[in-house]
Formats: sequence, structure tokens, C-alpha cells
Amino acid sequence: MKTFVFRNQTVEPFLGYDGMTYSGYGDISQVPGDVDRYIWFYQVPVNADGEQLAQEIASYSDQLDLVLASADASKPFLIFSLVNLFPLRLTGNDAAVATAIDDFNRRITALSASRPGVKWVDFSEFTSRYDAQSLINWKYYLMSQTLLNPKLAHDFQTWWQRVEQELALMRKKCLILDLDNTLWGGILGEDGTNGIKIGGDYPGNAFTYWQRSLLQLAHNGVILAICSKNNESDVAEAWDNNPNMVLKREHFSALRINWLDKATNINAIAEELNIGLDSMVFIDDNPAERELVKQLLPQVEVPDFPEKPYQLMPFFKMLVDKYFRIYAVTDEDRAKAAQYHANALRNAELGRFADLEGYLYSLDMRLDIAPADEHNLPRIAQMTQKTNQFNLTTRRYSETDVQQRLDNGWHVYCMNVSDRFGDSGITATIFLEPVDDTTVNIDTLLLSCRILGKGIEDAFVKTMLNLLRLDGYRKVTADYLPTAKNAQTADFYDRMGFSLLSTSQDGSKHYELALDGVFEIKNCYNIRVL
Amino acid sequence: MNLEEQVLAIMREVFETDDVSTQSSQKNCERWDSLHHLTLASELEEAFDIELEPEEIGAMTDFARVIEMLKGKL
Repeated sequence: MKTFVFRNQTVEPFLGYDGMTYSGYGDISQVPGDVDRYIWFYQVPVNADGEQLAQEIASYSDQLDLVLASADASKPFLIFSLVNLFPLRLTGNDAAVATAIDDFNRRITALSASRPGVKWVDFSEFTSRYDAQSLINWKYYLMSQTLLNPKLAHDFQTWWQRVEQELALMRKKCLILDLDNTLWGGILGEDGTNGIKIGGDYPGNAFTYWQRSLLQLAHNGVILAICSKNNESDVAEAWDNNPNMVLKREHFSALRINWLDKATNINAIAEELNIGLDSMVFIDDNPAERELVKQLLPQVEVPDFPEKPYQLMPFFKMLVDKYFRIYAVTDEDRAKAAQYHANALRNAELGRFADLEGYLYSLDMRLDIAPADEHNLPRIAQMTQKTNQFNLTTRRYSETDVQQRLDNGWHVYCMNVSDRFGDSGITATIFLEPVDDTTVNIDTLLLSCRILGKGIEDAFVKTMLNLLRLDGYRKVTADYLPTAKNAQTADFYDRMGFSLLSTSQDGSKHYELALDGVFEIKNCYNIRVL
Repeated sequence: MNLEEQVLAIMREVFETDDVSTQSSQKNCERWDSLHHLTLASELEEAFDIELEPEEIGAMTDFARVIEMLKGKL
């Protein structure tokens, strides 16, 4: 990936050399177009004249505007926030510099919300780990214009790798928790409902903070699950009768409270929630349990658990930073935990119907299909990044990639799925690339695993095929590209009646279908095309 | 690892190339530019727990001078 960096100091030791091109110091005259992305990484200069420095910082916003005006808007543009590494105030009330920095930082957060492709990077997240002494190395600053200490380069690179991963939406989905000495202090089976340590003074208050923090994680779209060796009735009793319990039954999307080994239980949770093991983080105070899961399920992340309850807050921060943070949390993310929970209810419902058909009717499913627009485009791109299982080609697209394809005349649709239990949100998308006047190729077809198992994929694709025929298309081509995770879709096009043209050595399959009739769709879906 | 080998290892890491030797200098090594020179100095300071003065950093223009300077510090 080719990156162009706008900078006013030497930042090469931090961002590296591979694939990077750097502007001159504070030089915005060149804005190259033949790169894959831009980075804006300015530092606050050292200047004892506060007024002058404030004006210089204010000019960064104007410079940034000029650059953004001529930069290729279809490319990602990452902007570092400003941090004053060397705050110098000669009089007590001289806040001009601080104000100018705040203005710039507010400006870029606003930009990242309004301009597609622009994301801001919180540089203070890195610098706040160090004291003022270690951040700056004056010798190197004066020798080669790098205020940030080059000795922090290794740390910076580790941090930056994580930021880039987050920007690429690679966070985990599910946190699996043990109970005794993990969610509360003590052992429920021995200490009893009111003997376990939660609430009140230390160490109970540490577990209260910890549970409250986990609850916030759930509110932000992280799925919580329990895997504990306990008697389920004891746990139910504690949830019902311990007044200090913050996290209760309704906050967990899956429970495995039994005496089976934890690897078996975690596998079962993955199956129940329909998410991959590599989306899971397992928390347990018992090193033996952690080791077992590490050995048997290497895809699951297993962080060490703190020795002391008072270390739970920094531990929580580590979890968030490492596994669960994301730059822009979408409403879809927030609602997700609730949806997984509604799925659990639906599964319970399943048992009450004589057959699947009757169940599907009872759900009162609504499928709303809409073309891509500015509102759903971020979600469409996000789905291409995160969906692994029901994904025929697993092509990953950024927002700007999707926009480019729309500009090239592709038809991109997404689907919102809801039923009487709740709204699953936008959970499917299809990318159709016109090949010629009568032929269209399915470049991307995916459905979130949240909505699988109800025939929705068939209804979605058949609806799209019927639409394409009405639009004058007569032939559809499609591929299945195998990955480690999408085996369940290997025969999807065969099921839809496509003809297999060829199979490549890597297992990819190539299909075509003549559009010469109407595809029948079951009546149990209320389908609207917007 | 003796001192020479240690320094060569650091140079390989900093310059991101295996093409370094006891004959390397700023003149004959393409990656040994002023920026990598700064990183090299900073890595040497870390590895040997020493402080280099700007004048010393400026003077270590080839492998032999780096070794000479380090020997004076250790």
C-alpha cells in the first residue's frame, strides 16, 4: 500500500519507510494522486511565543482544507490529532496555544464525521502513556527535527499497528466470562449467594466496577457469554437474590454453566451464536482453564487475568484497547448484542411449532431491499469487512471502494431484516457488476450470520434475480471462492439452479444462469424493494 | 556475540538490509542516510545504555568509527 504523509517534523522513524512517501516539512504544495491513502501527522512546534504558535496551529486547519480539496476523495485520509508535547506557558492565563490545539482537534473529529474516507487518529492515546521527560529527546529534536523521542519508535509501531487494525474493523465480537473469582470474588458454591464478594467495600467494589464496565461493553455491541463450572440453579439464585449483582441473566447471549470442559463449552457457544472462534475472547481467573483453552482452541484470545481485584480496571482498559475498540461504532454494532439475544428467544420459540414452515410464517419477517446510498454505504462496507461465513467471494471493500464501484455503474443493494422479535438491521448485501447490456456478474453476495437459518438468503437472491430480469438482463454469472470459513455457501448457487461452468484448482467454482422465468419465493416473507 | 557482531546486527535491523559489513559507511551504504543514522544512534544508545553527544553522533560516519566510539564509552 502506498501512503503519502503530510508532516511538519521528522516522523519517518515512527511511520517507517516501506511504501511511505513524505511531504516536505509543512509542504502542502504537492498532493499526489497515485497513492492508496494519505496520512496527516503534524506535531505542535516548539515556540516560546505563544501568540505566534497559536496562529501557526490555526493555519494547520487552513492547510488541511487545501490538501483535502485537492486530495483524491475516494482514498482514505487519516488525520492525527495534535498533542502539545512541550506545553510552555509564560503567564498563568495564556491559553491561546491550548485553545488552538483544541480547535484543530474538534475540527478533525467533525471532518471524520462529515467527509467519507476521513478518519481521525487520537495521538494522545499514545503520548498519554509517557511522562513529559520521556516523550521528548532534545538532542534528536535539534539534530533532526523530531520532537517525539525516537526511542519510542518501537512502542509507536506496536500502537500504530493496532490503530490500523482497528481502522480496518478487525475487532472481536464476543467476550466469554467465567463466574467465580472472575465476575465476583469468592466461590458461589461455597460462599453462597450473599457470601460472594460483589458490592460494598474492597474487594467487592472492584467487582462492581468491573461488572459495570462490562455492561458498557455490552451496550456498545460486544456479545457477553458465560462459561463456568457451577450449578446453574446456584447462579440463577445469585442473579435473582444478590442485590449487588450488576450483570444478570438478560445481559448474556449464551450460557454454559455446567461441569464440561471449557473448550467443549466454548465451541458450543460459538455454534449457538453462529460466530467464529477467532471472534472470541475468553476470561478466566484459573490459569489451568486458560491454558486448556489456549491449547485446544488457539483461535480464541485468552488474556492473563489480574492477580488482584484492584487491577481489574486497568485490565478492562487493556481488553477494550486490544480487542474491542473501534473508531466509529455504528448503530448496527450497538443493536447487535440485543439481536443475538433476540435470536436466542427465537430459537426457544422454534420448539413450539410443528414444522419450520409454520415457524417462518409466525415470525412475520420483513425484508426491505434498498439500493446503496450515503446512509447505508458505511454499513455495506463494514459487512464486506466482517462477514466470513455466508460470503460467496469474501471480497473486502472500504467505503471508498464501494463508492468507486457505484460510480462505475455497478448495482449495489442491501437488505434490512426485521421480524416480530426485533429489527436485525442491514444484514445482507449484493454487488452486481454489469458485464454487457444483458449480462451481470455477482461480484459479492453476503448475509450476516445473525439472520441465517430462515431461508432469507434464498428469498433475497431470488428477488434480485427477478428484478434483474425486469431490468432487461438475461444472464447472470457468479463465483464461489472458498475460504477457511465459507464452506456453508459452497453449494449455494447449485441450490439456486445455476449451472456450474468450471471448477478451478483452488476449489473456486464458476457459474452462470439464464434469466428466462420468474423465481418463486415463499409467502412467509414480506418483501419490499425501495 | 562480540561488539562487532552486535553492532552489525543493529545495523541490519535499522537499515532493513543484510547488506552490511565491517566496511559499511555512510558513503557506500545506500540505506545509511541521515534519517537512518539518527535511528542507528538511538538504537545504539538503547542497546549499550549509553548517551551519545550530537558531536559523537555526527562523527560516526562508518562502521570502524562506530566501534571506536563505542569502545571509548564501554
